[in-house]
Amino acid sequence: MITIGYDLGAAYSKVVILKDGKVIGKGLAKTTLEPEESLIAARKAAMAEAKIEEGHINKVGVTGSGRKLVKNPDVEAMDVSADAVGVNYLNKEIKTVIDVGGEEARAVKVSADGKAINSAVNDKCAAGAGAFCEAMARAMQVTLLEFAEYSLKSKQRIPINAQCAIFAESEVVSLVSEETPREDICRAVHDGISERLTSMAKRVGIEEKVGLIGGAVMNKGLVQSLKDSLGMDATVLPDPQFVSALGVALMAAKAEG
Amino acid sequence: MEQQYKTAPLKCWNKAKEIRMNIYQEIAEAKQRGKILIGGGAESLIAIPTGFDHAILVGEPYGAAIAYTYKENPDFYMKIVEAAEHAGYPRDLCAYMRDYLGSLLLNKYIFGGPFPHMDFCLQAGFCDTHSKWYQIVSEIEKIPYFSLDLVPFDWEIAGESEKTKQLKRDYITNQIHEAIVWMEKTTGKTFDDEKFIQGVLNECESTSLWAKICIANRAIPAPLDEKTILSLYVLAVIGRPRQDVVDFYKECLAEVEERVANKIAACPHERVRIITDSQPPWFALDFFRLFESYGVVSVGAHYSFGLSGGWEYDPAGKTWNAARTPAERGIELKTRDDAARMLADWWLTTGTVCRGVRHSGAGKIQRIMDMVDKWHIDGVVLHLNRGCEGTSLGQMEINQSLLKKGIPVMTFEGNHADPREYDEQRTFARIQSFMETMGLKQIYEFKRH
Amino acid sequence: MIKDFVDVYQNRHDYAKEWKKKHPGSKVVGYMCSYLPEEIFYAAGILPVRILGSHEPQNVTEPHIFGMYCPFSRDVLAQGLQGRYDYIDAVATAYPCMHLGQAFDSWTLHVTKKYFYVDMPNRVQTPYAFPFLTGRLEETKKELEKWIEREISASDLEKAIEIYNENRSLLRQIYDLRKAKDVPLTGTECMHITTGNLFMDKEDANKLLKETIGKELSSRKAKTADDSRLMIVGSENDDIKFLDMVEKFRAVIVVDDHCTGSRYFWNNVTMGNGPIESIARRYLERPVCPQRDYPERKRLPYLLQLARDWDVKGIIFLQQKFCDPHELDRVAILDFFKKQGIRTLYLELDVTVPLGQFRIRVEALLEQLREEEIW
Repeated sequence: MITIGYDLGAAYSKVVILKDGKVIGKGLAKTTLEPEESLIAARKAAMAEAKIEEGHINKVGVTGSGRKLVKNPDVEAMDVSADAVGVNYLNKEIKTVIDVGGEEARAVKVSADGKAINSAVNDKCAAGAGAFCEAMARAMQVTLLEFAEYSLKSKQRIPINAQCAIFAESEVVSLVSEETPREDICRAVHDGISERLTSMAKRVGIEEKVGLIGGAVMNKGLVQSLKDSLGMDATVLPDPQFVSALGVALMAAKAEG
Repeated sequence: MEQQYKTAPLKCWNKAKEIRMNIYQEIAEAKQRGKILIGGGAESLIAIPTGFDHAILVGEPYGAAIAYTYKENPDFYMKIVEAAEHAGYPRDLCAYMRDYLGSLLLNKYIFGGPFPHMDFCLQAGFCDTHSKWYQIVSEIEKIPYFSLDLVPFDWEIAGESEKTKQLKRDYITNQIHEAIVWMEKTTGKTFDDEKFIQGVLNECESTSLWAKICIANRAIPAPLDEKTILSLYVLAVIGRPRQDVVDFYKECLAEVEERVANKIAACPHERVRIITDSQPPWFALDFFRLFESYGVVSVGAHYSFGLSGGWEYDPAGKTWNAARTPAERGIELKTRDDAARMLADWWLTTGTVCRGVRHSGAGKIQRIMDMVDKWHIDGVVLHLNRGCEGTSLGQMEINQSLLKKGIPVMTFEGNHADPREYDEQRTFARIQSFMETMGLKQIYEFKRH
Repeated sequence: MIKDFVDVYQNRHDYAKEWKKKHPGSKVVGYMCSYLPEEIFYAAGILPVRILGSHEPQNVTEPHIFGMYCPFSRDVLAQGLQGRYDYIDAVATAYPCMHLGQAFDSWTLHVTKKYFYVDMPNRVQTPYAFPFLTGRLEETKKELEKWIEREISASDLEKAIEIYNENRSLLRQIYDLRKAKDVPLTGTECMHITTGNLFMDKEDANKLLKETIGKELSSRKAKTADDSRLMIVGSENDDIKFLDMVEKFRAVIVVDDHCTGSRYFWNNVTMGNGPIESIARRYLERPVCPQRDYPERKRLPYLLQLARDWDVKGIIFLQQKFCDPHELDRVAILDFFKKQGIRTLYLELDVTVPLGQFRIRVEALLEQLREEEIW
């Protein structure tokens, strides 16, 4: 049986294709003002990797803010459920998931059998999401990869405001004008975001093991910062930006009909 | 799909609407009819001026009504709220106050005509904002201002000393007397003690009746849903000392009890019961209907139960029952002082929302847990209300306590009276996630209005 | 000396722990609002220490207080949750405001179970507040007596009042020195003194204050007549970094009105019919917190007089983000000073501040003040 899972986020559309429960293709496309185009592009990429045609798909699952774009799916699930299923499939020891997307971050408590027990989101503040990192990287005139690398080389911790993206940005501008080493500014940004994410995760109660998913956790600087802030180890799941799509694909595979 | 329970519209609903509109009409016509027009807050002990022929424009429900205009006329609402901000009032202040000030500054009464200009402001310090709100209003309007300081009892669990309680009773009683003398001096009119006594008795009775109506909602299925409750509780908010409000609540209680006896439900598919916390986003009450499409009915909130209800603590059961009225306790009010003392004591002993605005810890948690137990609650929805720090006090602790007890709980950020701080799409997504975590599927498709 | 106060400010917990060692069996009570009648606690042999934040971002309070409450209240709670006040035997407050009140409630749930709560009235302008507060403080005294298992005598209270009055008078003396054209200490230095003082046994603090006044400030010149004279007005404030930034310009902060500054110590207890009554009167009559300033606005003429007495040319308002009491006064206060012809700058603070951005705004204010001086 071939199942397709869509995670149509505000920043990226992600697609995962499963054959008999195993991943055979993945696709990713930036979400534009024409979201249907990114859905199509991501699906095309996934199908090419999976070497399948349109008619081969047996079941469809969809999640994400753009989920209504997919008509008559077998499963339409909320992000938190998809996260829980995907993470549980990859690593049954994970009890707390932190999903750091482009525009939104969330924490999910996962049961032993892969159900979302509780969740919290950072829906009012970009300081807890990947978009803030990208904005700061642009402000520092470096790529995101460079931003992460600089952060890991920092030798001192500089606290910046962890609550408000606007205030945090002001503080970064202040640090730049004070000729603070680039490494320390990059780390300060990551620390600010991590504090916000940790605060959010504490609302659901952090229980080990902790899993990290979402595109933003491919940033090694952010991940290190997050581990420091959590005060414990945290596992970046493989292909972290696809875990939600994987989760909803697995849910579709199990769906009746 | 099969309906589980019988349902029927609430017969007295239209009457509630009528009484409410009459009250707003009275405010608009007060000056023409030679009445004193007063500005104040809903928890201002609005029984105090009943010794005069008066109307009172109560600020918070007026603010809610302004917020509601956003649904039909967002441009109009924006003009109002921006008027307050252009005047310099920061955006994170009480949303009711900002809406009210905007309406005042634009000289527009949302029920038609110019803003009703008051004779004086009479306010009680229900929260930090209220006392200052009416200071600002009185400065803009250049009218006299009297403010009472309300120092509530702590929650019963705190074991406050009897002496402290008596001090609070005396403090408020003295200020009530002070207010009456001040009003007489300010208006040049004579205060009618008999009317005041009746106003206080009505306040006790209407709030006790409201508590009984809330208690009737413990029945399964619930005869009332929270959206309906919000249309009914508001009468006590704007008119608890009025005879027509007492009479209405008697009629409403009888109808609700009849619905309980005949198992007439508010939500025909009721299978899960929730309560909410804090004021709802007034301009976007549709979210209650989204819940109902999953068979989830909100049967009330500490906010609506407590703001209009008189609740008496039962130490043996560690719970709150409908407060016994003075008549039920065999107490007769003969003098102005009797009435003032009763009003102070009633507010202190039976008013739980005000108490929660000052003390948000173990006591407030106990009240919420009590509601979860007594109203057979399966989940709690906390509106983290950026528009009102008072009613949102302690919500995160309540969240933690519920989680520890394994009671499903969700939070959503919003604002009760400023639509710019409420994201409906995101809130609906949160609700849908919550439904999934509770293992509930949608029974029918919910269509947004 | 000033550096001793700096040391206490920076090592506040060490001071309290040392004090406990020096006074075995005595208790330390952490408190959250300057309206707490410390004299009664002190008379009970207790060291009251102010609980302040540490100006560090933290991730521990969100499960307890959500983000729209002021950063100070969350910073205060964070100190407790992080165990920094683990040496206190109880926590106390007088009713502060909703934000800090919530921090207090969470503290009693999770950090220190033993607590004292004083119902400080808001409407200090009514004569009925006096018998109310007097009675309430009698109850506080009884609660403390039960806790320490001994009576607090009238002479204990009188002694405490004497020590606290001396403390206040000495701080007033320092503030009076700041009226001079050549100011002996900067606002930053003074903030170290007034804030350090909050963590100290007032007997110790009084010795240090006398020494500082007598030996250090008498011959000191920190700033001159060339420096623009400023006042800061706000909520709780110990934003030392901000003040330091301002005073790096040709500017000096010569007086303030905020919770942990002059409002804390401005007026003494005047002995009347008994110590408790006298203490109550003092707290009702002290410079008022904005949420207690109604129905009549007494705060505005008071601030104006303060500005005149210290020859202030500009006022910087330092309001904690989301602070309702100050925001509610904002329009009235800015209008008032505009009419008085005194320039103002209104800033919102978080636990950390964007010094770069604020620097630009402070510079703009100082430039305007300089232009006015020239013309």
